[in-house]
Amino acid sequence: MKSVKRIEIVVDSVELNRLVEVLEESQLKGYTVIKDVLGRGLHGLRDGGDLTDVLTNVYVLVACNEDQVHPLIEQLRPILTRFGGICLISDAQWVVH
Amino acid sequence: MDTGTILSNALNPAILFFFLGVASVLLKSDLEIPSPLPKLFSLYLLLVIGFKGGVELAHSGFSTQVLLTFIAAILAAVVVPIASFFVLRLKLDVYNAAAIAASYGSVSAVTFVTATTFLQQTGIPYNGYMVAALAIMESPAIVAGVLLVRVYDSKQEKGVNWSEVLREAFLNGSVVLLVGSLFIGLVAPETAQKSLEPFTKGIFYGVLTFFLLDMGLLAARRLRDLTATGPFLIGFGILAPVVNAVIAILIAKLIGMGEGNALLFAVLCASASYIAVPAAMRLSIPEANPSLYVSMALAITFPFNIIFGIPLYLQLIRILGV
Repeated sequence: MKSVKRIEIVVDSVELNRLVEVLEESQLKGYTVIKDVLGRGLHGLRDGGDLTDVLTNVYVLVACNEDQVHPLIEQLRPILTRFGGICLISDAQWVVH
Repeated sequence: MDTGTILSNALNPAILFFFLGVASVLLKSDLEIPSPLPKLFSLYLLLVIGFKGGVELAHSGFSTQVLLTFIAAILAAVVVPIASFFVLRLKLDVYNAAAIAASYGSVSAVTFVTATTFLQQTGIPYNGYMVAALAIMESPAIVAGVLLVRVYDSKQEKGVNWSEVLREAFLNGSVVLLVGSLFIGLVAPETAQKSLEPFTKGIFYGVLTFFLLDMGLLAARRLRDLTATGPFLIGFGILAPVVNAVIAILIAKLIGMGEGNALLFAVLCASASYIAVPAAMRLSIPEANPSLYVSMALAITFPFNIIFGIPLYLQLIRILGV
C-alpha cells in the first residue's frame, strides 16, 4: 500500500467543468465524480428540484501525492471562494494492484 | 372578467395534472418522475415547437409584420430585465436583483407551449413565427443581468468572463435546440414534415401533460422557499408578469398583431425562465441566491401564468381591442 492524500470536494453542479479543468491542469492521474449530490451549506439548501442542476452539487474524489496537494488547493481556492463548496483533505492508503 | 375562460383553462387536463403534482407534494406522497425524464420532456417540447415554428415560418415568409414582431421581441428582452432590476433594487442587493431580473427578462418555453395549446383549444389562430420570437427572447436577458451587475456593483473586482457569459447565453442547450429545430423546420421538405407528424403532433399533448405533472411536483417543492422570498418578491412574481403583459399587449396593438399572436407575445413578456437563465446566473452571478430566482419562476410566476395569466391576458387583449 502507498500513502496518499485524499481530497474530497463538494461544489455546485454548474462548476463541474471548471473544476475538472483545474484537475486536468494539475496533471493528476485520475479523479471520480458523483453527480446529483444533495445537502445544505453556507449557500443554502441544495435539494435538486429544478431542471438545470442549479440546485444540486457534485462530489469529486481525488487521490494524490502529498507534494501535489498544495498547488491543487491554491487552484481550487478561488473557485471555492467565489462559488462556495467544501474541500476536505485527509490521509489515505492507496491499495497498489 | 370572463371567469368561464379561467375555469375552462383550469379544467384543461394538462393544467389538472399540474394541480395533481402540487397536491401530491402537499399530501406528502412519494410520487416522483425519474430524473432524466423531465429533461427529456423539456427537450422534446423545445424540439417540436422549434420545428413546427420553422415550418410555419417557411409558409408565412418574412413579412413586415414578422420583422416588427421580432424587433418588439428584442426590445422587450432588453427593456424588461432593466426595468425589473430597478424595481427589485428597492428591496434587494445588486446580485439578486440582477439575477431575478434576468429570469423575468427571459422566457418560459413551457408557458408558451401551454398558451399555444390554449389557443388551439379555443380556436384562436396564431402564427408559428412566434416561436422565433421565443428563441430571440431567450438570451438577451442573461447578458443584461451580467451587465447590470457590472455597472452597479461597486465591489466588483474581477472582470467578467464574457466568453463564458455569451456561451451560456447563446449556446446553452435550450437555445441551441430551439433555434436548431426552427432552422430545420424552415428548410425541411414537406414530405419530411409529414413523416414526423406522429412525433410532432401525435404525442405532443400527452408529453406536455406529463411534463406539467412534473412541473407541479417541482413548483410545490419550491413552495417552502417562498418563506425566504417574502411578500415583496411574491408580489413581484405575480404583478410583474401582469404589468409586462399589459405593456406587451399595447405594443401588440401598436404593431397590428392578431389576437393569438398578441397573447403569445404577452405570455413571452410575462413569463420567467427557470431553465436557461438559472444555469447562466449560477455561473455568472454566483453571489445571487438560486433559491430566490428559481423558486420565484417555478413556484409563483409559472403557476400564475398557466392558471390565471393566459386567460387573463386574453381578456385584456379583448378589452384593449387588439
